[in-house]
Amino acid sequence: MKFKAWLKTIIFYEILIGMKATLMHLLHYKPITLQYPHEKRILPDSYRGMLALLRYDDGTEKCVGCDLCEAACPSRVIKVISAEVPDEPTKRFAKEYYMDMTRCLFCGLCVQACPVDALGMTREYEWAVYDKRQLLLNKGQLLAIGDRSYPVREKRLELQHPNVAFFNVAFKHLPPKES
Amino acid sequence: MATTAVETVRLTIDGVPVTVPKGTLVIEAARQTGVMIPHFCYHPKLKWDANCRMCLVEIEKMPKLQTSCSTPVAEGMVVRTATAVVNEAHKSVLEFILANHPLDCPVCDQGGRCDLQDFSHEYTPTTSRFIEVKRVFEKEYFSPLIETQMNRCVQCLRCVRYCDEVMDVKALAPVGRGTMTEIKHFTHHELDCEFCGGCVQICPVGAFTSRLSMYEFRPWMLKRADTICTYCGDGCQITIQTKENELIEVMSAHGAGRNNGDLCARGFFGYHATTHPDRLQHPLIRRNGQLIQTTWEEALEHVAETFTRLKLQHGPAAFGGLIASRCTNEDLYVFQKFMRLAIGSNRIDSSARYGHINGVRALRRVQGTHRWTVTFEDIVSADALLLVGTSLTETNPITGLKVKEAVKKQGAILLTIESLVPAVGTISNITNLATHHVSAHPEQFGNIVLGLIKAVIEEGLVDQALAQRATSYVQAISEAVRACPWPVIENATGATSSTLKETARTFARAARTIILVGQGVLRAPGGYGIVMNLLDLLLLTGKHDQPGCGLAPLAEENNDQGAVEMGTVAEFLPGPSDLNDRPARERIAGLWKEELPQGAGSTLIKMLEEARTGKIKAMLIVGENPVGSLPTGARAKEALEQLEFLVCQELFLTETAALAHVVLPACSYAEKDGTVTNTEGHVQQVRQAIEPIGESRPDWQILSALSGLLGYPLEYGESREILKEIRSLIPGYGLLGPAPTPPRPDQTVVDRYLREGYTEDLASRYSLAGEGQAERGSRKEGSFALVVGQTLFHSGKLSTRAKGLLQIQAAGFLGLNPANAQEIGVTEGDRVRISNEQGEMTTTVKLLDRVPEGLALFPEHFAEDRLTDQRR
Ligand code: SF4
Ligand code: SF4
Ligand code: SF4
Ligand code: SF4
Ligand code: SF4
Ligand code: FES
Repeated sequence: MKFKAWLKTIIFYEILIGMKATLMHLLHYKPITLQYPHEKRILPDSYRGMLALLRYDDGTEKCVGCDLCEAACPSRVIKVISAEVPDEPTKRFAKEYYMDMTRCLFCGLCVQACPVDALGMTREYEWAVYDKRQLLLNKGQLLAIGDRSYPVREKRLELQHPNVAFFNVAFKHLPPKES
Repeated sequence: MATTAVETVRLTIDGVPVTVPKGTLVIEAARQTGVMIPHFCYHPKLKWDANCRMCLVEIEKMPKLQTSCSTPVAEGMVVRTATAVVNEAHKSVLEFILANHPLDCPVCDQGGRCDLQDFSHEYTPTTSRFIEVKRVFEKEYFSPLIETQMNRCVQCLRCVRYCDEVMDVKALAPVGRGTMTEIKHFTHHELDCEFCGGCVQICPVGAFTSRLSMYEFRPWMLKRADTICTYCGDGCQITIQTKENELIEVMSAHGAGRNNGDLCARGFFGYHATTHPDRLQHPLIRRNGQLIQTTWEEALEHVAETFTRLKLQHGPAAFGGLIASRCTNEDLYVFQKFMRLAIGSNRIDSSARYGHINGVRALRRVQGTHRWTVTFEDIVSADALLLVGTSLTETNPITGLKVKEAVKKQGAILLTIESLVPAVGTISNITNLATHHVSAHPEQFGNIVLGLIKAVIEEGLVDQALAQRATSYVQAISEAVRACPWPVIENATGATSSTLKETARTFARAARTIILVGQGVLRAPGGYGIVMNLLDLLLLTGKHDQPGCGLAPLAEENNDQGAVEMGTVAEFLPGPSDLNDRPARERIAGLWKEELPQGAGSTLIKMLEEARTGKIKAMLIVGENPVGSLPTGARAKEALEQLEFLVCQELFLTETAALAHVVLPACSYAEKDGTVTNTEGHVQQVRQAIEPIGESRPDWQILSALSGLLGYPLEYGESREILKEIRSLIPGYGLLGPAPTPPRPDQTVVDRYLREGYTEDLASRYSLAGEGQAERGSRKEGSFALVVGQTLFHSGKLSTRAKGLLQIQAAGFLGLNPANAQEIGVTEGDRVRISNEQGEMTTTVKLLDRVPEGLALFPEHFAEDRLTDQRR
């Protein structure tokens, strides 16, 4: 018994056990490092990359400025400033929309929260920047990401679901809200 | 109120035994046990309607489910609110509602505080069996301030019932049948109503929302501050909701404050005034005739230096101080202390001078109180209410609601002596509810009151006990009114003696009577005398010391009452105590550790006169704008221009501030803490909702800083310390409770008044005003008596900076009776030129049925078109 313990000590048995996987790889060498950026991984289908704002097939923004993504976000990435669409009385949209991507966890809760599927997670991940401020994205930038990542766009909601026909439409015969 | 023991009933709700007063509805009893039964159409403020079927519960021994909102409790009742059957019923009701409800939540301003959302989460499965296309209403434009989305309506009719039952406006109606019922207003043009916002507040869903804050917020983003509306003396509790230091909306919760959650347009839509872009952000100082921006240090030092110099040259009596009674008690208190100690002058006055002081002086003289002896609750439970010159809806809308409640729900008798005539209009008209109405020319209020007293005496309505106790008093008044013959009264007032006698009889017969006196009397020349006579009326009919009876002068500005109690008027020290009341002076001096200045006070008008003649060299004006608000504005301007030094603390560069040598930017009520005292004498808390705009500071802080530079430091860390000091002067001041405890009339004072106090001005009070003048009805062709007054949608000048209120009423107008208008050939919307001896101007005609013939109504709020300006 004593001898066994002594032997284990001098051959660093615990360390060998701990290094077992490493040592095995040493023997059966097969490279797993990708030569990024020359080589790139194949992303899984559910990959959660850079966030984007999407559009309908007629080019209009999907986002209605409901603030639900802002409420859902656990790390306060999102800031929505909603308003009436200029020249489209009673229609609501996000006048301004910001995402502070430095804080994003890529949990996807905002995407789940969005009632109109206006948010999407893209497969973009190459967002290393020299200046952190470049990760504070505004609506235009987020829409641009969406445009390049989601070339196929949905039809407007009312065309998809005729029985909710009156969702967020403008009434041209109404005066706009005074500011 | 009679305190009979209330009958109670015991019942069981979900296994919990509960005892409630008889007549309680099951839904309310359940609330007491902590069970919230889902409901849409029920609201404690309204009569039950039981139209939504959401509140079904199971009651033992009843064959079917019952609507808990319409079922009164019964002894031994066993109620179950959460059985499978009940839940199934809730689910079905919701399924029907949701069958037609749009999926608007993401764009609906109610989202996050919507009853339908909450109940749906609680009771419905996420799928529906309905596949039909949803009901869609044609969208109509409703109004600039209230947005309707009828697709979201659950047809509970709360809005319609509120507008009718509580507001008495009746602007809304359900149109159509079944699911196609939609809420509309009666006319084809946009909504024209009181814009109280009540329908917005009471709608359980997002069918009615405010356009003012549309799409600017989500409920969970809002920070709340419970504070007090500063637009009128009713002192409604409002909750200001802000998002990132921006005012988003105002609401008032049911059960909150003296207003019980009801508001008027000014409170609900007028909140943007304080953040108007024209707000003064920096101190201004006059250099080479121009007001230019400066720093606080420079401004304050300049003020302190000049004050010190002028004080040395001319003595402290050469200083005058004016303060707006919109300020908090703390501001008012520090102001008068500053004037009295740091400056040493008693020449102090506030805007309570315009009217409220007359009521308070009369109350003090006759019954030794400076407050109402009644409360809003007493108004609601009164048997008879006499309104004299109130224009209640326009000036004190919430007191108006109490009167409406008394008349409509409690069956009180309403007697009105008003310049308005009963007529249905787009806003409510209190005279419509009156059983006895005397339509009076504004100059005739006093004569009508005389007529009432004469009627009381002639009809033998004088209280027997009083007749014995104060024989000479009754005798003197009887003789005085005998000298006013009926024909002269009738001729002057246009009211017949039989009407007045009938009114007097009704008044005397009722057990609990309250007289409400409004600005029409208080501000009138001789207003003090009329209030005195009304107190005589109470005394004569023996109601004066009865519980639930009293005279209530209505304060126009939110803290008129506080201004008097803080001693910021010419005749009072804090308390209020008379300026020459020796023991009070000593007590105050003891607390302040400083002698009080000698010398008389000067009223606002007198001060301006003294400024003109050079007796006053320097003035400190806080928030008050005599040039803009006095009918003789131009004379006030002349007077103020004579001053060697004028300092103004202001929110905006008003007409008066524009004359100042130094203008100091002050905080509005939304940016500071403090207390204000409403018209019934209830002290309430004002709480800060946003950060001060620019470099503005609360008035008391400015005065405190200034006092330090003058060598009489009045140092306070926060407003609460000032309140503490006020309490040491006035014990118990502002113990913030849910309701005021009104004082009782002081019997020694009443006795003194009945013995000899009445004699000094009896003759002048009991003479017909304007006797011998041109008879009524003999006005010159095309000339009108101009009544400059309040409208419901504005208050002073401040509200004309509120964008919401401007959308309801953006300019002055001339209200004319349609018959008169036809006579002179003008109609609605015409531009007319009007002139009087003081000036002339053009304005737009508005036809109002409620304006009596021969009168022209003109709102006092709009600076651009002031009739009283000397522009020719
Ligand atoms: S949840 Fe969707 S619709 Fe709502 S604000 Fe966010 S992105 Fe826009
Ligand atoms: S009323 Fe309520 S349920 Fe209906 S859309 Fe608005 S938030 Fe949603
Ligand atoms: S508008 Fe609102 S309050 Fe009025 S009936 Fe419809 S749901 Fe009820
Ligand atoms: S805002 Fe107008 S319609 Fe709505 S309850 Fe008030 S008075 Fe009636
Ligand atoms: S103006 Fe008067 S009645 Fe209207 S909300 Fe303000 S305090 Fe209440
Ligand atoms: S709340 Fe009882 S039926 Fe509507």
